[in-house]
Parts: sequence; C-alpha cells; structure tokens
Amino acid sequence: MLLVLVLVTIGVFLIVRLVPGDPAQMVLGLKARPEQIADMHHRLGLDQPIGKQFTSFVGTLLTTGDTGQSIAYNVSSRALVLDRLPVSLWLICCSAVLVVAISLPLAMTAALHKGSWVDQLVRIVPTITLGMPEFWVGLVFVLLFAVTLKVFPVGGTQPGIDGMLYSMALPSLTIALAQTPFIVRSLRTRILDVLQSDFVVTLRAAHLPERVIHRHVLRNALLPALQLYGMKISFLVGGTLVVEQVFGLKGVGSLLFSAITARDFPLIQAIAIYCALGVVLISVIVEIAGGLIDYRVRGGAEQTTAGGVA
Amino acid sequence: MKKTRTFSALRTALTAATAAVLAISLAACSQTGGSTTAGTSASGDQTTFTYARSAAVTSLNLWTEITSNNAFAIDKIFEPLVSFDKNGKIIDWLAKSHKISDDGLTYTFTLRDGLKFSNGKNVTAEDAVFSIEQHQAEKDAALPLTADIASVTAPDEKTVEIKLNSPYTPLLAELANFSNGIVPKDFGGKSEDDFFANPVGTGPFVVSKWDKSGDLTFTKNENYWQKGKPGITKLVYKLVEDGTQAVNQLKTGQVDGIEDPALENLDELENGNDTKVETAGSWVTHTFFFNTADEHFSDVHVRRALAYALNRSDVTKAVSFGHADTAKTVLPKAIEYSTQDSIKPVDNDLTKAKEELAQSKYPSGFDAKILLASGNNAYSQAAQLLQSAAAKIGVKLEIESVDIATFRSRFKAFDYQIMINSAQADYPDADSIIDFQADPDGFSKSYWTSYSNPEVTEELKKAQVTPDGDERAVLYEKIQQTLADEVPYIPLYSPQIVKAVRKNVTGLEVLPNNSVRFQDVKIG
Amino acid sequence: MKLSHDRLPSTLVAGVALLIAIVLAVLIIPLVSPYDPTAEDISSMLQPPSFAHPFGTDQLGRDLLVRVAAAGRVDLALMVGVELLPFIIGTAAGLIAGYYGGWPNRVITLLSDALIAFPFYLLVAVVAFVTGTGITGIFLTFLIMGWIIFARTVKGATASLAGAEWVESARVMGFSDASILVHQMLPNVLSQAVIVLVSDMVALLVAIVTLGYLGLGVTPPTPDWGTMIADGQSFLSTRWWVSTLPGCAVVLVGIALALIGDGLNDARRQS
Repeated sequence: MLLVLVLVTIGVFLIVRLVPGDPAQMVLGLKARPEQIADMHHRLGLDQPIGKQFTSFVGTLLTTGDTGQSIAYNVSSRALVLDRLPVSLWLICCSAVLVVAISLPLAMTAALHKGSWVDQLVRIVPTITLGMPEFWVGLVFVLLFAVTLKVFPVGGTQPGIDGMLYSMALPSLTIALAQTPFIVRSLRTRILDVLQSDFVVTLRAAHLPERVIHRHVLRNALLPALQLYGMKISFLVGGTLVVEQVFGLKGVGSLLFSAITARDFPLIQAIAIYCALGVVLISVIVEIAGGLIDYRVRGGAEQTTAGGVA
Repeated sequence: MKKTRTFSALRTALTAATAAVLAISLAACSQTGGSTTAGTSASGDQTTFTYARSAAVTSLNLWTEITSNNAFAIDKIFEPLVSFDKNGKIIDWLAKSHKISDDGLTYTFTLRDGLKFSNGKNVTAEDAVFSIEQHQAEKDAALPLTADIASVTAPDEKTVEIKLNSPYTPLLAELANFSNGIVPKDFGGKSEDDFFANPVGTGPFVVSKWDKSGDLTFTKNENYWQKGKPGITKLVYKLVEDGTQAVNQLKTGQVDGIEDPALENLDELENGNDTKVETAGSWVTHTFFFNTADEHFSDVHVRRALAYALNRSDVTKAVSFGHADTAKTVLPKAIEYSTQDSIKPVDNDLTKAKEELAQSKYPSGFDAKILLASGNNAYSQAAQLLQSAAAKIGVKLEIESVDIATFRSRFKAFDYQIMINSAQADYPDADSIIDFQADPDGFSKSYWTSYSNPEVTEELKKAQVTPDGDERAVLYEKIQQTLADEVPYIPLYSPQIVKAVRKNVTGLEVLPNNSVRFQDVKIG
Repeated sequence: MKLSHDRLPSTLVAGVALLIAIVLAVLIIPLVSPYDPTAEDISSMLQPPSFAHPFGTDQLGRDLLVRVAAAGRVDLALMVGVELLPFIIGTAAGLIAGYYGGWPNRVITLLSDALIAFPFYLLVAVVAFVTGTGITGIFLTFLIMGWIIFARTVKGATASLAGAEWVESARVMGFSDASILVHQMLPNVLSQAVIVLVSDMVALLVAIVTLGYLGLGVTPPTPDWGTMIADGQSFLSTRWWVSTLPGCAVVLVGIALALIGDGLNDARRQS
C-alpha cells in the first residue's frame, strides 16, 4: 500500500512536467512579457533541473508533510486541499448512503421475486440512468428541481449540517443514479447465486427459519458488492469533478480541474497524493469491513465469492 | 423459489435506507422556504450585491497583475487620475482637470478637493507621484508605462506634473488604466506585501474578507469621494466556475449578476422574467491569426484567398446571437480611429478567393491546421466555418484542439499555422491594439504572427507621437487598410460587453474593458 | 458460453434487438438523408424539430438527425475499438496473475492499485494534453485504465479455478502452463470477462461523452454525441433538442448494452 503512494507521488511529479504548458504563462496572462515569465520561473524554481526539483519536493514532503505553495492561488497547496476536502467528502458520503438506500431494497426485492414483473422492472429501469452522463443528469436536475420547482438550491453549499444536506441532495443523487445500476445488478446476481448455493440448501434442509437464511444470504451477497463499490468509490475520489463543476461545489474535484488548467504543479501534486491516500484508506476500510462480514458469514457456512463482478 | 414474509436482515436494511432518505428530504423541506436569495435579502440598511465570476481573486497588486480576475477587483479599490466612460472616452477621475502642453511633453493634473483614502487620510499629489514612480520601478510590471518619462513631480499639494523626454500620445490613455491607481505614499508605512494583503485606496470598496481560492467580500468605502455612494453596503465576488451554473443561480436569485455570461445564453437572460442584460461596446475582437512565418501563410495571396472564402457575418450570426458586430478592421468600433464603418475589407467573395489562390504558390490548394483552445464553443463553431469555407477553394484545414495552457505555449513558440484568439485593448487608445498586433520588434511579434511591414511599423511609431487629431486619424486609417489588405489576421467579430443582472438591479455601469462600476448600483 | 435456445433470457433478446435497431439506424440514416452532417447553413440555425429536420438543427444550421446518426457511427466504432485492446490485455494479465500468483500477481495488483489511486481525470487530462484532444487521447487513456477491471475479474475467476482438481490433473498429464491457460482456463473465465466487457462499454461511452463536455473529447467537425450534448447544454432550457436528442441516443445504447449484459449474466448462471 505504501508502494502505491510512492508510485503515485513519483508518477504525478513526472507527469505534470511532461505535459506541454507553462504555469507562468497561465498566471501572468496572455500579454506577459518574456522577462516576467523568466522571473517567475526563477522564483518557482522551475528553471532548475528536474532531478533537483524532485529532491527538494520530496524533501519538504517528508520533513514537513507540506506539498508547497500553490502557483495560481499563492497559498499553501495542502491548506487548499484540506479546505476543499469537506465538500467532496460530504458528496461521497451522501451519495454512498443514497446508493445503499436505493440498491439494497431493489436488489433484494428483485431477487426474491425472480422472473416476476417487479424483477423485470428493477432490471430495466436503472439501465436508463446507466447511459446518462452525470453532467447531463445534473443539468436536468438543476433545471427541474432548482430553477423551475425551486425546492433545492441551484448550486454551492449552505452553512450548517442541514444546509449541507440540503445542498448535497441533488449532487449526491446525481452520483448515486450513475452508480446504482451496477450495484443493483451485482447484488441481485449475488443474492440469486447464494440462494441457489449448497449452503442455503443445507440451511433449508436444517429447517432454519427463513429470516436467518436471509440474513446469511444478504451477508454473503454483500461482500462482492462491497468490493465493487469500494472500487467505484475510489474512482469518485477526485472524480467528483464533473458533478462539482455542474453544481458549483467548491470541492477537491473542481480544484483539481482548475489546477490542471493552470498547470499549478504543487497543487496538482498535493491533490493527487492526498487522493491516493484517501483511496488507500478506503480500500483498507473495505477490506476490514469485508473481513468482518466474511468472519460472521463463516459462522454459517463456507462460501467462496470469487469473481462475478458483473 | 419459495417466497417469504419475514426477513429481519432485509428489514433492517430497509429501515436504515428509509431513515437516510427521510433525513435528506426533511433537511430539504426545512430549508425550502428560506432558500438563500442574494441582494434582496437585505436586513436594515444592508444591501448586498453578489456577483458571479469564473475565477477567484488571487492578488491585489495593481502593478503586477493584468488578468481580469484580479484587475476587476483592483479597480474597485484603487483609482487612477483619469479614467474612461462606457464609450471609451477618457474622463477626469481623481483629477478634476488635466492639461497637455502643446509640445506634448508636459502633463499637468489637478486633484479633486476632499479626496480621501479609505482609512480617512487625505490624498495628496505626493501620493500620486509615489504611485507612478513605484509603478515605473516595478520590474514585473504587467502594464508598464511605455512613455519616456523624465520626471514626475508634485509642485503643490494638488498638482501632479509628468514631464516627458519625447512626446507620446497614448500616455493619457495608459494612465487611465487600473494599474495607475493611486496608493498612499510609502504604503502608509507598511511593507508592500502587507499593504497589498490589506490594501487602502480611494475606490468605492474596501476588502473585508478574502479567500484567494474562493470568494472576495467588499464593504462600502465610508470615505468615498463621490458623496452618498456607493449605494450598496456589501459587494461579494462569488466564484462560480461553470457558466451554466452561474446562469441558473442568476435565474433563481442566488446571485445578482454575472460577470461573463456566454453569448449563447443572452436571449434567454434578456427575455427572462427576473433577469436582464446590460451592455457596452467592447475593445475585444475575436480573430483568426496566421503564422506568416509558415511556408503557406507567408504568401499574402493565400491569406487573402482564405479571407475572401470566409463569410464573417455568418460567423457573427452563428456565435453571437445578435450581440456582436462583424469586425471589418483590426480596431473595434469603441476605439477611436476605428474605420469599421468605412474600410474595404477582404471578405466573402468566392470568385475572388479562387483568383487569389490561383495567384499564390499553391494554386491547387494545400493542407493546414487550425489551432484551437478546447472548451470554447464559439471558437469551435468559427473554426468549423473557416474549415468549410476553405474547403470550397481546395484548402483542406484540420482542426487541432488543445487545452488552453498548451495552446498558449504553442502559439507563443510560433508553433501553429492558423489560430483563433482574442485581441484586446487594455486602454482606450488605438496604439494599445496596433502596437501589439503590428509591431514586429515588440515582444509579441505582431501578435505572434511574425507579420512585418516596414511601412506599417513606421506609421505606427509616428502615430504614437502625433497628437490626437486628423493627422493621427489618417495614419491609423492607412494602417488599418494595409492590415486589411495583407490579412495577417482575419478579425471576425467584436462582441458587446454584456453583464447579466437581476431585473431589480439598476445603475450598473458597464465598461468597454469588461469591468463595471458598482457605485451607482441599487437593488429593489 | 452454452446457451440453450429454448431458454434465451428475454433481456438478452430485447437488448440485442435494440442494439441491432440502433446500428441499422446509424448506418442507414446518413445514406438516405438529404443532408450532409458537416454542411453548415447559418440561415437555418437552431431550428426546432420539423418535418424537414425531424431532430431540428444545431448552432451552425446542420441537420441534427443525420448528425446524431453520423456521430453514432463514430462513437459506436470508438466504443468497440477502444475497448478491444484493454479487454485482451486485461484478460491476459488476469489469467497470468490468477494462475501463477506470486510475483506476477503482485506486480499486476500493484500497478492496478496505483492507477486506481491516481485521480482519473488527471490522467485523462494529462493524456489529452500530450496527444491533443481527440480520438488518440481517448484511445490511450482507456488503454491505460481500461484493462484493470478485466484483469481483476479474470484474476478472481482464474484463481478460484487454478486450485481445482482437473487443473491439477491436466498438469500431471503433462500439459504445459500455456496450454492449460489457453485451452482450459480461458474458456471458463471468458464468459465473465465478456459480461464485464458489455457493461463496461456503456461506462466507456458515457466517459467519452463526458470528455466532450470537459472539452477533451472528439475534435470537431467530426460529429460525436459528447460534443453535441456539450455544445447544446447552454441551450437546454431554451432549445432543448440540441443536446437532449443526442443524449437520448446515448441512453438507448446504454439500455441495449445493459440488457445484453444482464441477459448474458443470466444465461451464464443458468448453464
């Protein structure tokens, strides 16, 4: 896991410098004179060899944990990331809650009524949102619920926990809609698999009450869904960009976007490193949670859950 | 499969899910009534104007900054001796009058009475002298004064005198720039960095809260020299990066105005129930530039052929929704000496286009690329129109779309054949555009076209020292016609400067440099 | 994959039918339409749907119906073309990692973990900036990212098979590792990989469309659903057809592929 962080740090450092484009040109504007640009390069240390830039960057990172001054905003890049982080975390958490709230009942109902019209409905309706780009869903939500019906704000965040929940409703629903189809489908398949598996047959043969069986079914089915969702969330870290953009949220995603546009090297590096840290944390949490579920499952019966991500 | 009734695991999950959904919808309902409305949410004498802008204010140093995100915050805090009105005409500002000697070498400004900085201290001529000298000394000046200045002095408390070694007509217009605002002498005893972190000026607003990556809140300058102004007590520069988001926030009243509404949104905002637009003539011309050092585009016939093939009014129509003039010359109409109404442009004549190409080194056409900064809808449409126009005369153009930072690095390294970009005057003088776009010796190398015509260079140098009047007009007329004939660039359209505001907003003065004045703004 | 004809899942049938209909429409419309997808006509810009222009016209007066169809050719081809290589690479990587375990597994896992930990849009942007926006950039980006999901799926499936008795006996009988991988493992894990492929294609299409929105997509004037939706988004409340109709095309493809994926999955489970 530590190796992942090291790879990302080196990768992002090299990659931003590989790309054409110059932060000084972006900050100083179209009409910047060559002397101004040279001056700025010198101030930022961009005129030094790349190896030296790297050692000084890693040096500061390891000794102080700091990622340097943002070029475009002229403030600490770490402070900026930490400042923008809460909004993105809110967004990810709210959407995660919504995904679970929508997927779990749908998948369970569909699986238990396999082949019925309910099942068909559950399988077909979410596929409609599958083909909808998030920015498009977001735009429609804004027009419908904010501009026309005026029940939610158009964008931005509002103070307080209730204000935050209120501001997050549309953006997190937008994200949730894009993710539920995968989760519903995976959960439904899993539940069906488990229901047909030997151990459920055994449990049934042992005349255990249905609710006990269902508890085991759900736990067994949850594990791969959790793993799949962990991967989806990883994509979300720093990938909430589009939704943040559409809803005018000042999160890490929109910060990343402007940092990339401005070639704000220290800021891009800061975001990439902190995001990687976040992803690593999430996968650790997913592993622990998975282990927990698995451990409790094993009380019932042995059931391998390899593959079958779809 | 057996159907069942009770399954506690599912029930637990369902309960949790329902609770979560309820929590969110409850939060939503509890807020529905009090959705935050900008502007009108005035309590007592407080009136706030919230202005949506696409980039944050990152620095308030008036000398080193030039990009609009900073410039249009700086000009609310600092004011120059002279300024300009919505038509680009130069007017006295902190000076109550100014005089230029007949030889064009001495500029004398008399300060207004009762001028105060926002900290209550009086403004004296010494402050003005300090400001201009400091500006001249700044080695990273973004908009340096180009005149050959001999001395800046304060003969008395109210008089500022600038003496030149040689005449330079654009000086007055340059002084109207925000970068020549007046700061207190010696920064009022602070260091330069401390001063610009918490600046003191004569402008209508004072910084009260500033997030360099987000919003900037101004409060009214209680000592403002225009009595009884500004009419609003608070001005918020709110960062809204996405254009569509800004439009929707305006429609619902989350903001009171938008700095840069996209042209394609204008008819909607103009005809909206709660919104309207305010306009002014602009100093901007969106333009196709040719790299005249390129083997194809060094040939004047090739450039003329493409200009003839293109129908510029089609471009204007497709991208501007009635809010732009088709540009016929390099100088926009709102700049004095523009020959927009009299010039003969090379435009929209397919027969002549074919004739020109036949005379060129490439009579049977060639392949080339248009370099385009991605994410700009209007530019992309214009490039496609040039592409199909060129196809009609056998020139095959490919669109190469790169991101803005790459775009800048590319064209500044002359690594392009045709590009689309905007040409903008910084101050209300023809020289601001002509010098940047036609002087091959300047750092911009005729706006990175490498275009060079000794006759034009000579004329533009002469126009810089010729006093305003007919003689200067003739020079600029000749320059414009030569540039139109030799087509180092095809000026396409000059969009109006447009600001969208809520309908209850009055008194917003829109300026041709894309800034606005808020001191007369009233809400309600 | 063994499918018994009497038990073809209805979702599969419906999905395939829809997909065939879309492909046919996309192929035929540009042939029979009187309009050229790239021919501008400013005098008829932004017209609402009418008899002459069933989908209306765009900002440059181009017929949207023929453009949506022409864009479909581009996007569908792109979708399949872009997914092919990651599918092959990912499946191969997954087979090797799952079968051998050990260091091949560790290397592949580390690589995919690092890539996932890397902000996706940073990668997209970087590739687009280096190659210029357009098809090459899209192709490269998804080559770098796309193989992971296949590798993970196939790895899991292979690992669970690798310990099985029949694999062991195959080894004892003297079959080479390569032969076991290709002849024994691959057929068994392929069905899962194909199901992932189908559902990943939708995600890919949506991602291509989103790139268009971010200004990193297919370069004009090549018609593309993403750029069309993005170009029309400012008109959403005044001229809905400009971006809604291309949007519907994406949704339809999404539904078709999702149904196929779902159906294949059912078929696999039944067999």
